[in-house]
Amino acid sequence: MTSTTARFTQLPVLRSELLKIRTLRSLCGALFAVPAVSTAFSWPAGLSDTSEPGFDPLFTALSGVVPGQIAAISFGAMAVSSEFHGGGLRVSLAAVPRRGRWFAAKLTAVAVPVLVVGLVTGAASLAVARTGLASAADGLTWGEQARGVVGFGVYVTLMALFAAGLTALLRSGIGTLGVLIPFILITSFVIGDMAGALTDFLPDKAGQVVLQQTSESLLGPWTGLAVTAAWTAAALLAGAWSLGRRDA
Amino acid sequence: MITISHLTKTYGGFRAVDDVTFTAQPGRVTGFLGPNGAGKSTTMRIMVGLTPATTGEATILGRHFSELPNPGREVGVLLDASAQHAGRTGREILTLAQRTMRMPKSRVDEMLEVVSLTDEEAGRRVRDYSLGMRQRLGIAAALLGDPPVVMLDEPSNGLDPEGIIWIRELLRRLAREGRTVLVSSHLMNETASFADHLVVLGRGRLLADMPMREFIDARVQPAVRVRTTDATALKDVLVRNGYDAAQQEGGHWIVRHARVADIGRIASAASVPLLELAAEEGTLEQAYLDLTSPEAEFTACPSPAQPQEARP
Repeated sequence: MTSTTARFTQLPVLRSELLKIRTLRSLCGALFAVPAVSTAFSWPAGLSDTSEPGFDPLFTALSGVVPGQIAAISFGAMAVSSEFHGGGLRVSLAAVPRRGRWFAAKLTAVAVPVLVVGLVTGAASLAVARTGLASAADGLTWGEQARGVVGFGVYVTLMALFAAGLTALLRSGIGTLGVLIPFILITSFVIGDMAGALTDFLPDKAGQVVLQQTSESLLGPWTGLAVTAAWTAAALLAGAWSLGRRDA
Repeated sequence: MITISHLTKTYGGFRAVDDVTFTAQPGRVTGFLGPNGAGKSTTMRIMVGLTPATTGEATILGRHFSELPNPGREVGVLLDASAQHAGRTGREILTLAQRTMRMPKSRVDEMLEVVSLTDEEAGRRVRDYSLGMRQRLGIAAALLGDPPVVMLDEPSNGLDPEGIIWIRELLRRLAREGRTVLVSSHLMNETASFADHLVVLGRGRLLADMPMREFIDARVQPAVRVRTTDATALKDVLVRNGYDAAQQEGGHWIVRHARVADIGRIASAASVPLLELAAEEGTLEQAYLDLTSPEAEFTACPSPAQPQEARP
């Protein structure tokens, strides 16, 4: 009871947050679902008709990102919402009363596993799809493939963080999924083709440019990711603001 | 030491905590009492920085909770034993605390032993725990950092009889070791068994802050319990000596404002046969009800006229 001088750094908080993720089945399951659903989607996509006019071999190979990002979003949302179950946040904040520090550790613990899994998934999806695409993918350069794989990892990470920020703001994982999933599945598909240029700046549309060999978007691959990152940053700031302001 | 000075918390126009000042000193168990809605939980939540005070201050060892570099090593907190993700095992929850506080790994097993959770129980998910096991786990997490200040909200909640004896002895031991121990409760007999000092809130205000014995003696008049075979003679002699005696349901008599030595001598002098003669010790429960019944916000059955008569 004397060791009050022990320096308190970010590292133990981060390790504790990583352990929190590892010790919940639902979170491990959502993380595992990212490669599972992505490759399961990319593989048959590689067998599809490659002679259509708008055919993009890179995006076809990485089309698993559509279900994959939903797994990543669920992971990000649940990692934060698990803190709101039965007042667990009170325990967390009693252990780490500086809320900004705690939230930063939580977000790092969300981002690192998703990035690793996302990079592996991007590479695996591409490899699996290429077995089906065969010569249709011959036009892809090394650079484009590397960009697609890295872009896949970064994109799903940004979406997971977007969900994490939104969950901290709404204090509800269900609320977050209720907003984001219909948005991604419906809005982007249905409204996306009608509303024109503005939809290029939606978080998912913008970030997916990096997964395409050629795109008609106003944004380039990296500027598109930057737009998604801006959305994510906005959600995280809103989440941090809510967390700092409200009673736990 | 916990220092609360002029602490006020308002929600809209409602004053949940109203200018409360007290300290919890090291080396003793401070019982923190009050009816539902009196502001105990709000005060404790302010102490650990979960909600900000409107005005006034709560400091622990002279600092605000959020300024403590490694709070788990300074203050052990149990606010709600169920505030844990039910999908984790007990061991995992303690490991989380151990990592955050940067305590040695061996501390997890030590604490499991202190709270008597077996290896098998520690490996179970918390959703399969009984309330008593959750309390033990929560106490283990609170004490894991070996903190000089311990703050527990209703720790005996859900414990079995052995558990209640265990927590009583644990709290006494923590105080003996020189720690500051603040325990909120609404179980009077329980609190009486471990508290040295009492802090009582009612409707957000401080009603009492004094040693427990003093609190009881100030609130409950001494009385003597007598049983006799000759009720008429007893009544007679007591009235003649100016005592106020009333027969109770069990057939015994309670003599108010009296001491055993006086009643014994009077009865003996008058040759009234006595079957029983005992001091009626004031209980914390009587003293507490006397103090809080006009203050209670949620009293199911208010009886302010004769609070001393109230029994559970």
